[in-house]
Amino acid sequence: MRVNWKPFVLTLVVLLTLFPFVYLVLLSLASQWRFPALLPGYFGLDNWRTIWASEVGLVSSFLLSTLISLSVATVSTLSGFLISRSVAYHPRKRLLTLFTYFPYLLAPVVLAACLSYFFLKLGLFGNVTGVIVAQFMITFPYSLIFFSSFWSERTKSFEELVFTLGGTRRQAFVKVLLPLARGMLLICFFQTFLISWFEYGLTSIIGVGKVQTLTIKVFLFIKEANFYYGALSCCLLIFPPVVLLYLNKKYVFNKLV
Amino acid sequence: MKNRRLHIGLLLFVLIGVLPFVSAFVYAVLYSVGLAGVVNDGFTLRFWAAVWNSGEFLRSFGYSAGIAGISVVVSVSAAMWLTLQFKRELQHRWLSFVIYLPLAIPGVVAAFFMVQLFAKSGLFSRFAYHLGWIAEAREFPDLINDPYALGIMLAFITIVTPFFVLLFLNVYQNERVAELTELAESLGANKKQVLWRVTLPILLRKTWTLIGLYFIFLLGSYEVPLILGQESPQMLSVLIIREIKQYDLSKISEGYVVAVIYTIFVSLAAVLLFYRKKSTTDAG
Repeated sequence: MRVNWKPFVLTLVVLLTLFPFVYLVLLSLASQWRFPALLPGYFGLDNWRTIWASEVGLVSSFLLSTLISLSVATVSTLSGFLISRSVAYHPRKRLLTLFTYFPYLLAPVVLAACLSYFFLKLGLFGNVTGVIVAQFMITFPYSLIFFSSFWSERTKSFEELVFTLGGTRRQAFVKVLLPLARGMLLICFFQTFLISWFEYGLTSIIGVGKVQTLTIKVFLFIKEANFYYGALSCCLLIFPPVVLLYLNKKYVFNKLV
Repeated sequence: MKNRRLHIGLLLFVLIGVLPFVSAFVYAVLYSVGLAGVVNDGFTLRFWAAVWNSGEFLRSFGYSAGIAGISVVVSVSAAMWLTLQFKRELQHRWLSFVIYLPLAIPGVVAAFFMVQLFAKSGLFSRFAYHLGWIAEAREFPDLINDPYALGIMLAFITIVTPFFVLLFLNVYQNERVAELTELAESLGANKKQVLWRVTLPILLRKTWTLIGLYFIFLLGSYEVPLILGQESPQMLSVLIIREIKQYDLSKISEGYVVAVIYTIFVSLAAVLLFYRKKSTTDAG
């Protein structure tokens, strides 16, 4: 009799996928877990209670990360949507799009290191505004590339139809283009939010350790070998994207397909 | 009026999309030839010669390319296998959400997780101790910060494989590979022929640009090799930042030399990928 191995492998894949999430939550609840113990000395909510203590700074880091990511995602989605139109309808579209790929492919941390002189001169070094501007520089090319497929001949003919029927440019934008692009705008917003939320290298260079987002916190806790708070910061870092992915999948992807 | 709007859009595109990259590149070039920087006093090529003679850049480049290449090949192969074996199951309601979950794990968390599992006092080391395989933590093999970059590659594969599974599933549906497979089988092709002559060519042809992009992204990856890498050789981004941020000001220019070479490589790769993609699209 042939054994069907598929369910076992699939179960293993699912367990491996869920394992990091479960393990990080368990580690965030643990303390006094020294080698070679298989189970921690303490298991409870003590670490989570300390979130609110100002010296740990996790709540402020969470709020700061949220503020930065929301700002970056909003600005880059809207500007990318509007500016990509000029690029997409330009006769030299291919060349312009190629220029967009350069900063998109370059490691953000290297871009930040080479731009840090200009940020210093502009007074944008070591502050939140500087980090937002720097992150915007890496999410903007993504947004441009993302929306390049939206501005097609079909979209153009929709716009022209509005004008033929007596509609204004504003009406074409509000009543045709925005509803048409709604799904893409949401996806782009989520993606640029995630790029910003996960960003570490560029933030550490431009923020010089003064702008302590959650990724910077995780790194600090790793350096201090404080793995319990490290796991706690990891949980704060990964669960908002999980919720976003769920919403994204439920309300955006499914409607687009 | 219409032209004015387009011109404003283009101006903003140049200001936000092009100018920062060009400024960064020009500044790095000037620094690398001694025309910028506090301790530099004029044009010189000695920093370029120093980088070339030390051989560290080439080692780092080879090391980074090797890690990125192996990670991409393993991830793509694993993702392809999972897609082809479980395409039906992965579209199941809750499984289709579970496969999205790894996208919520950033590099820094993946690296932290690898430390927790594979460090000398990590979870697997504890299991090895209780199974009697090791008597002390230091007997556990180096699986992170190791010379073969196993930890880095494992982290990369963990991050990248789920993305490729989603990508291949999407292409499988959009390109109607199932129908084409049936057609090939009805024309007499066996399973092996269908796989090598229909399924794989379609999936790879539609995704090779993204596979190339992921190779470039991994090549320039920073936080994972920073946490899981060793002192020497280091991956490119880690090497560049180490050189640029060091205390010996006279050596900073060498960091910019590496940054310039890396930027040129990435730009050439962008041109190659972009134009090949365009020609493939045009041909298709």
